[in-house]
Amino acid sequence: MTTQRTSGRRKQAIAAAAAVAALLTTAACGGGSDDGDNGSKTGAAGFDAANNKVAQADLAKKGGTLKFGAAQDADSWDTTRGYYGMMWNFARYYSRQLVTNKAEPGAAGAEVTPDLATETAKVTDDGKTYTYTLRDGVTWEDGKPITSKDVKYGIERVWAQDVLSGGPTYLKDVLDPKGEYKGPYKDTSADKLGLKAIETPDDKTIVFKLPVANSDFEEMLALVSASPVRQDMDTKSKYGLKPFSSGPYKFASYSPGKDLKLVRNTEWKQASDPIRKAYPDEITIQFFSDANQLDQRLLSGDLDLDLNQTGMSPQGRTTALKQHKGNLDNPVSGYVRYAVFPQSVAPFDNIECRKAVILGADHVSLQTARGGPVAGGDIGTNMLPPSVPGAEGQKYDPYKLATDNKGGNIAEAKAALKACGKPNGFSTTIAVRNNKPVEVATAQSLQASLKKIGVTVEIDQYDGSQTAGIIGSPSNVKKKGYGIIIMGWGPDFPSVQGFGLPLWSSKYISESGNNNYALIKDKAIDGLFDQYVTTLDDAGKTKIATEINHKVMEGAYYLPFVFERFINWRSDNLANVYTTDGYSGQYDFVNLGLKNPKK
Amino acid sequence: MTAPLHEPTAEAAPSPAEEATVATADAKAVQGRSLGRIAWERLKRDKLALSGGIVVLLLVLVALFAPMITSILGQDPNEYHENLIDPLFGTPTGSLGGISGEHLLGVEPVNGRDILARILYGARISLLVGFLSAVVAVILGTVLGILAGFFGGWVDSVVSRVMDGLLAFPQLLFIIALVSVMPNDLLGLTGSNVRVFVMILVIGFFGWPYIGRVVRGQTLSLREREYVEAARSLGAGRLYILFKELLPNLVAPIVVYTTMMIPTNILTEAALSFLGVGVKPPTASWGQMLSSAIDYYESDPMYMVVPGLAIFITVLAFNLFGDGVRDALDPKASR
Amino acid sequence: MLAYLIRRLFAAVVMLVVIVMVVFGIFFLIPKWAGVDIALSFVGKQADPAAVEGVREKLGLGDPIYAQVWEFFKGIFAGRTYTGGGDSIQCAAPCFGYSFRSEQAVWPVLTDRFPVTLALALGAAVLWLILGVSAGVLSALKRGSLWDRGAMVIALSGVSLPIYFTGMVALSIFVYGLDLFDGQFVPLDESFSGWFGGMILPWITLAFLYAAMYARITRATMLEILGEDYIRTARAKGLKERTVIGKHAMRSTMTPLLTMLGMDLGALIGGAILTETAFNLPGLGQAVLNAIKNQDLPIILGVTLITSLAVLVANLVVDILYAVIDPRVRLT
Repeated sequence: MTTQRTSGRRKQAIAAAAAVAALLTTAACGGGSDDGDNGSKTGAAGFDAANNKVAQADLAKKGGTLKFGAAQDADSWDTTRGYYGMMWNFARYYSRQLVTNKAEPGAAGAEVTPDLATETAKVTDDGKTYTYTLRDGVTWEDGKPITSKDVKYGIERVWAQDVLSGGPTYLKDVLDPKGEYKGPYKDTSADKLGLKAIETPDDKTIVFKLPVANSDFEEMLALVSASPVRQDMDTKSKYGLKPFSSGPYKFASYSPGKDLKLVRNTEWKQASDPIRKAYPDEITIQFFSDANQLDQRLLSGDLDLDLNQTGMSPQGRTTALKQHKGNLDNPVSGYVRYAVFPQSVAPFDNIECRKAVILGADHVSLQTARGGPVAGGDIGTNMLPPSVPGAEGQKYDPYKLATDNKGGNIAEAKAALKACGKPNGFSTTIAVRNNKPVEVATAQSLQASLKKIGVTVEIDQYDGSQTAGIIGSPSNVKKKGYGIIIMGWGPDFPSVQGFGLPLWSSKYISESGNNNYALIKDKAIDGLFDQYVTTLDDAGKTKIATEINHKVMEGAYYLPFVFERFINWRSDNLANVYTTDGYSGQYDFVNLGLKNPKK
Repeated sequence: MTAPLHEPTAEAAPSPAEEATVATADAKAVQGRSLGRIAWERLKRDKLALSGGIVVLLLVLVALFAPMITSILGQDPNEYHENLIDPLFGTPTGSLGGISGEHLLGVEPVNGRDILARILYGARISLLVGFLSAVVAVILGTVLGILAGFFGGWVDSVVSRVMDGLLAFPQLLFIIALVSVMPNDLLGLTGSNVRVFVMILVIGFFGWPYIGRVVRGQTLSLREREYVEAARSLGAGRLYILFKELLPNLVAPIVVYTTMMIPTNILTEAALSFLGVGVKPPTASWGQMLSSAIDYYESDPMYMVVPGLAIFITVLAFNLFGDGVRDALDPKASR
Repeated sequence: MLAYLIRRLFAAVVMLVVIVMVVFGIFFLIPKWAGVDIALSFVGKQADPAAVEGVREKLGLGDPIYAQVWEFFKGIFAGRTYTGGGDSIQCAAPCFGYSFRSEQAVWPVLTDRFPVTLALALGAAVLWLILGVSAGVLSALKRGSLWDRGAMVIALSGVSLPIYFTGMVALSIFVYGLDLFDGQFVPLDESFSGWFGGMILPWITLAFLYAAMYARITRATMLEILGEDYIRTARAKGLKERTVIGKHAMRSTMTPLLTMLGMDLGALIGGAILTETAFNLPGLGQAVLNAIKNQDLPIILGVTLITSLAVLVANLVVDILYAVIDPRVRLT
């Protein structure tokens, strides 16, 4: 305990905690300690102790069951089909890639390091040829060696989008931009390895030949969608129910939406794997339909951490902050939450009207709706998340959203409206996903503050599972008159390309599944992206990233809400915990260990 | 599952027992014109029912004049008061959910909207859906029930099968499914109005068989009665008989079932909004308030208690009143 | 009797076909009318046109409704194969459809979830019958007493409470506050005590609502029957009050209760949506609510079918039981 004077609020919290502790005489597990920011007798490492640094690495012991809980199941556990960040993170338990993210805290965790390969790529031919050699002793769960052909086949599966939909398609776009290959299931060659851009001269060597250089190609190979898949074990669309393991754990059982259990893959050899420590014997996930119940299980110590890694629900968060602060971390997630203005919907074709909304919005109110500065994040001032190289954070604030105009600047907004030719305001519609209460709250906040500048908005909540068809269809957006769309975006890999290309490049505007909601067709931005992919040095890449961000903000296409933060829970029993930029501020799952394996 | 949906079925005992029910209902018809008077006399003596009725009346007034009441209180249901919210936890800073002289029932977490104002506006949605969906059910049920009972034959078979079918439907499931796939703009309506409109239609649609069964049974028995026979022998047209002779005698059971249906409908609306397929924000609804209160059940219990009590009191008042009306209209009621 | 049964069964089958068609209609025709492409909801963040086409092909979204309905019923008896994009999925009979969202057949989901819902419904039914009927009978016998008034006020309050509100209050008091129960569902085959501990609160909450209803109906019916001639005759004959009530009056009281029980159990088995949501029970109701949120039509269809089947069977059983309890009713 610190000896500082406690504020009234703090006293209240302590009194409440004491009262609860008195009530919960039987609840010995988890401990109801009210200690503050430092390590405690319960063993919790302390507030933010695992945020961008490793907490209690030396306390991790071999064995035990690591227990995840989750309110949402993965989109798919098939390495080709998963797109959720937590799935990519978790997939490292049962899959390996040529290269992967470093198992290190913070920014270092976003760097690429060899995994199946002996070292990172030998890049030749002006960045158009990437060559890897596979390690010795890498095996599948049945003991057979992992070959370069397995890697090629695994990557080829990305082409089979008609069967294996859902995952990222960067590899397909870069290796086969014209879409000539039809995927392994329609491959006419005998070995189903007809993709010309990848060569496998022998079982240990794999060569990628890019039609056009791309400076982020190795980042794309670090995605789990580049995992090897063995052809005789490929169950196609059912693969996600029981992926064939190349990592230290394998699927024991999985019942979608209910539970999942991994056990040790006895064929995996520690010596062949420089990344994975594989502390626990078993890993389980239990799924909940109610986030509050999940939080209760976390607070009581029954579960070790939240698989979804999106932060606790308001109730759990309050209890945790008041009573178990030492079990919490408050990382930045890498997501930017924002509103975007489709230019196809009048009057958002006029930059002044876009500016009016940006200036008129109450940014503190939006931040509160997102959960406040701690659970929601810092007020967003531009579109590049802090974890991406080239980002400047709140230092770049062209509209003074975090300073002078944070409560909304009605005068300037009205001036902008006048310049737009709508001095008395206008009316429009906000489109928001119905399955994200926090986004609905931000829409309502925006609605309330825009009313003050004469802009009346109606909120249209659409089915969140239909995102691709509703806001991803520019013609539908125009038809419905969605002048404001509320969304969030995180980097697929930490670079301006992995974050912004689908959002800001005119080439990515498409009739379905569009993500360039603002319909940005800016030659300058397109040009910068073209320049980016052929720039191989890091300093040059960073500079271009900053420029792209500035161009996007100058166009006033977006109203950023927050650079997202969240409150993440780790149990007293977790050891070797750290957040990593490689997975958007999530804990790095693959090296988590338990202090007391018997618990 | 909305169990209360099934309450009326107990009285409208299905097929085999139906004949018996119909047979014992004779007494009602005999009362004739004076029934209303007698019923009123009875109702006046039933204190519980009267108090229920008074609460219902008050609720209707509150709903009608919600905008006036809130403006007198100086509140707006959609106005944000974020200065009253603790930014760290998102809960109101004051005690008991931020109750103060200004905000008599406190404010909502996160945005600080006035809860009393939202409860008052929420009453409008609850009562609107409750009443109008009952009206839909009554109209459909009465018309189809009379047609089935009066004409018999294939008309009766078809209507009866449809009623059986609808009663075998997993209703809440269907209502949720229907409401959730409805487009966002319909017949020129937008926003919450679409949802309210759809809810009224769908809830009403699934409610009509309960009334239809009773009306059909009553019509069946009345059809054979002397005065109908007499009218028929005097050459009265079918329509004349239907509306002049039958309808007045069906008023009592219809009134009883309507009063019992309204609270059920209010609960269904609340359940739909609770499950997230009801009204859209920022429109206030009690069910929607309850569902967002789940996230604050411990840190701000008042937010859960207030809309919960609002639903409870409203439904209880309707039930008390409905019971009283039933007893008053049913001479066999044990008083 | 046999002819009656056959007729009822035939009607039930027709009913089920109609229900399936209606569900198809709701989920295919309405979105089409509203201009929403269902196939798009099955693909991810980067919706590749090939992916959309593959989904459309596999789901048979291009076929007319009647063809889809026919395929569905054929699948139940003969199994089904879904093909598209060079992939084919076997769904063995009884194939109640295949969910492309979770890549699993619907039938195992149903058999997996059904026991939970059944246990919830049956356990609660036992409780509410004991509580509701005894409270109702006592109230009727002591009409006008303090007990009667008290019980009826409680019963009326019970009927007027939304179950999710009662559930939330119960959870926050007994589970999170006092920590009396575990409040978490544990499968029966894992641990009986864990299962029982997890089910007890949902049972009580659900039973409270229904007990209130049953008490009211029992009281009303009992009062009506006590006024009947045959009861007076029985009393006049000098039969003991206990025999009159226990044997004669109770028997007649059971008839409407049985109807209600049949319908309520049927409805609950398929759709204890609110209770399962409030208590996070992995039953059919929860499955179908999630499915509706995800537009996972195959699961919705499967659950709806099972539910309707449950209601129809429950009604049939009730009607047959009628004949047993009440000799006046003859099945024709």
